[in-house]
This record gives sequence, C-alpha cells and structure tokens, in this order.
Amino acid sequence: MQCEQFEQILEQQENGALPTRALAHLEGCGVCRALSADFGAIREITSELGVDGIAPPERVWVCLRNQLEAEGLIHGSRTASPSPGRASRAWWAVLQRPAVAGVFLGLVLAAASTIGYWSNLPHARAHYSEFAPQPQQEVSSVPTADSVFKEEVLTVGNDSIPGLRRQDIAVRDSIRRNLQIVDNFIAICEKSVREQPDNQMAREYLYGAYQQKAELLATATNRSLTGGLQ
Amino acid sequence: MNASSYNLRAANTARISRNSVRLGALSAAMAGFILAASPAHADRAEKHFPVQSKPKITVRNSNGRIQVKAWTRNEVLVAWTSASGKSTVETEEAGNRVEVSTRTIDDGVSADESKTDFEITVPVESELNVRTDSGNVTVESVHGDMTFDTVGANLQLSDVDGYMVVKTIDGSLICTRCSGKLEANSISGNVQMIQPTLDSVRVQTSSGNIFFDGSFLSRGIYIMKNFSGTIEVHFASSDSFDVNATSLKGNVVNQASFKPDAHGSPHPASKWGQSLFGTMNEGHAKVELSSFSGTIKILKRD
Repeated sequence: MQCEQFEQILEQQENGALPTRALAHLEGCGVCRALSADFGAIREITSELGVDGIAPPERVWVCLRNQLEAEGLIHGSRTASPSPGRASRAWWAVLQRPAVAGVFLGLVLAAASTIGYWSNLPHARAHYSEFAPQPQQEVSSVPTADSVFKEEVLTVGNDSIPGLRRQDIAVRDSIRRNLQIVDNFIAICEKSVREQPDNQMAREYLYGAYQQKAELLATATNRSLTGGLQ
Repeated sequence: MNASSYNLRAANTARISRNSVRLGALSAAMAGFILAASPAHADRAEKHFPVQSKPKITVRNSNGRIQVKAWTRNEVLVAWTSASGKSTVETEEAGNRVEVSTRTIDDGVSADESKTDFEITVPVESELNVRTDSGNVTVESVHGDMTFDTVGANLQLSDVDGYMVVKTIDGSLICTRCSGKLEANSISGNVQMIQPTLDSVRVQTSSGNIFFDGSFLSRGIYIMKNFSGTIEVHFASSDSFDVNATSLKGNVVNQASFKPDAHGSPHPASKWGQSLFGTMNEGHAKVELSSFSGTIKILKRD
C-alpha cells in the first residue's frame, strides 16, 4: 500500500479501527504513523473541548466555509447556510486533511474560548459585541475566520475589564508579533504546498504552523481573558 | 559689648535661624521626594514550608524574576519582593505540594505595578511547575521533573536533571549542563544546550536558532526542528550517531565524515531541498535535524 492510499483510508475512517493492510503499512511507515497520531490527537482535543456536545454558532460555520473557499480548498454556493449537524458530518472528510485540520483546530479553540468568555464574563460580552459579526448579516459581509481570530485576539486586551488586571503591554505585543511570524510562515508554507503538492515536508511544516497558530491563539485568549496570569 | 554689636549679632542669629529653617524645610522636602520616588512597598517577605523528599512546587507569577535554587534541607523557602504593594502573594501547602501565586489587589493594576520577584529555595530532589508571562526564570541544581510555560520570559537552567518541558512564545532557553530529557517549544525564542548530557531532546522553534554543543549519548534521540533560524550542532569525533538533516529551502553545512546509514531503510536523496543522511562511528544515537528555510550546521568541536 502506498502512502496516498493510506491517507485516503484514514480520511474515510472516522473512529473505527483501520483495516489490516492499512495497519501493516502503518507499521513500516513513520510518516503515516505520525499522520495517524496527529489525527488521533486532533480527535482527542476536539472531543475534550466538547465539540460534539456544543453546537457552535452559525457564524462559526460560515466563517469556516469562507476561509476554506478563500483558500480554494472547497467550492460551493455562498447563499445557503449549512446546518451545523449536517455540515460537521459532510466536512469531516475534508477536515481530516492536515492543513484544514489545523484551521479547524484553531477555530475550535477560538470558538471554545469565545463560548467560555461569553458565559463567564457579562462585561466582556458587551465589549466583544462591538466587533462580533451579527447573525443577521448578509453572508457576503461576514468576516473571514482569520479576521475574526485576529480581531478577537488583538482587541480583547486593549481595554481594562472591571475585575481583571490590565493586560501586560509587553505580553500583548509579544503575542501580536508572534502571530505575525506564524501567519507569515503559514503563507510561505501554503505557497510551497501549492507549488509542490507532492512535497510531504512542506505539508508537514504547514500543518505544524497551523498547530502553532492554534496554540498561540489559545494562549492569547487565555492571557487576554485573565489580563495575564492570575 | 555695645548695643550695635549686640543688634548685629542678634540679626545674624535670626538670619542663621531662618536659613536653618529653610535648609531644614528643603531637606525635608528632598527627603520626601526621595522617599516618594523610591518604591514604597519593595519589602521582602518570606515563608518556610517543611516538606518531605521530592516536593512539588508550583509558581504562578505574571511579571517578575523567578530564581530557584537547591539546598540539602527538607524545606521550601519562598522569599519575594513586591514592586508596588499592589499585588499579594498567596501560598498553599498541602502535604508535599507547595503552591505560590501572585494576585493583584485592585482592578486595573498595570504589569509594572504587579511585578513580584521571587527567590525560592527547594530540596535538590523537587518537581517544579512554573507559569509566568514576563520576567526571567533561572533554575539551578534542581533534580526532578519540571514544566515551564511562559510568554516572553527567558529561561536559564543550570545543572538540572529530569524531564523538562518548556513552552514559550518568544522567550529563549539556555540549558547548561542539563541532564535527562528536554522538550522545548517556542515560536521566536532561541534554544541553546551547552554541555548537555541529555538522552532525549525534542526542540522546536519557528524563527529562533537552535544550538547544541554536547555529547550524543548512546541510545539517545535528538530531534531539532525550526522554520527559518539556524540549527547548529557541535559533535566530538568519538560521538556515535545516525544523522538525518534536511533543509527544504536552506543549506546543510557538514564537517563530519559520515558513512552511509546501515541501520535503517535506505534514504533516497530528497528531490526537495538539501538532505544529509549518514552514520558516525557505530550510530548509537539518532539525530534528526530539520529546517524549512534555515541553515543546518553540523560542526566538529575544537
């Protein structure tokens, strides 16, 4: 079995065990082992975050679709909004691709943080609503997932929230600077993957950069919400 | 003494007295200014915690220096200095676990005002868990598992032994004479390992540089990966390791005379980027170096 065939099987396999021939390939191929482990980790993280239990807001799916369309990974009508349940099943195969999985992981983390933020901080809700996209907006005017992330991360700490320590400017600047670095790497990796689709190493770096962005956003959100460590 | 001389003397005395009062007032004002300018609450406080062997110490401090040293007593000493008095230090001891954290007193306290410096002395065999945003962290001569989570804080570990996990955004790590296992992940921080005796290294940074100058231990696994910085590895001619070095867009500079890798599956030359595969001596350790656009240097130690 070739690596590409294994990837196809892995994409189709939602939760069950892999077929014997896939397992045999897995034993002898370090790259596919790493890929399989990464998918396992993503599944584990998403299940820990309660993705199955929480219905994300409609705008999250719209943002995700916009992002995927903008990157040319999917093509579809922009008028119809998919229902979360149907969409999650239909997109699962797409989401299992490393690059997209990274975007998804970031979205899940940001969505989970946002959900926690809204439910715990009434003051913050009022602050956030100033830039949060409205559900009634036209699909075409909905911001991309990336812009929602940046908006959230880069503005939450700007004002002092009653009850919380003011955010450390050095920390905020550090997060902004490093977000720019990671975004730059993602752009470079995406270009490499587009130019050399067979380049496994470029794909791994792209996946790694998305992972780093997801972790950075999670750290940024965590630090912003608490005004730093408390 | 005539009347005129008496009057002159009295006038002089009165002038001197007035000048003294002015001088005194000026001195008092200056003293007040100096007192106001100096940190009013930079008081040092400390707490002692008797512990058994191998205690677990957790430190959470948003801003300020954290210095951890080891001693032979079965006791944890936590000493701190708060810059403004607008943050308090909370401690908790439960069995063999000691937790230390800073908390601001008022809303809207700035980072500078919340700055608290710590000097912590722990038994040699201790577990450490440190979380901080900014302010440097130094750990000396502690043996035990350690985790560090920082945003911009630089980290210096010296003569430590254990399983060390470091996560930072743009803080740098300098690990001097470290033993055991090291996992470090940074975005723009540099990582330096100087005279390490580590048998497992997994270091990843995006734009930072990685520097390794030490021995590759038998059966050790050393994985170093970055995106755009330099990876520099210094080896001795007696070292025994298999190496796999690849830079997708950058260069691989090699001073070693490697034999073809006889242990694993054959490595076809990559059509993407520069690659190097080979074995030094018996190939007991495994070294994987990977960069996207950075330079990888494999250099002989002088």
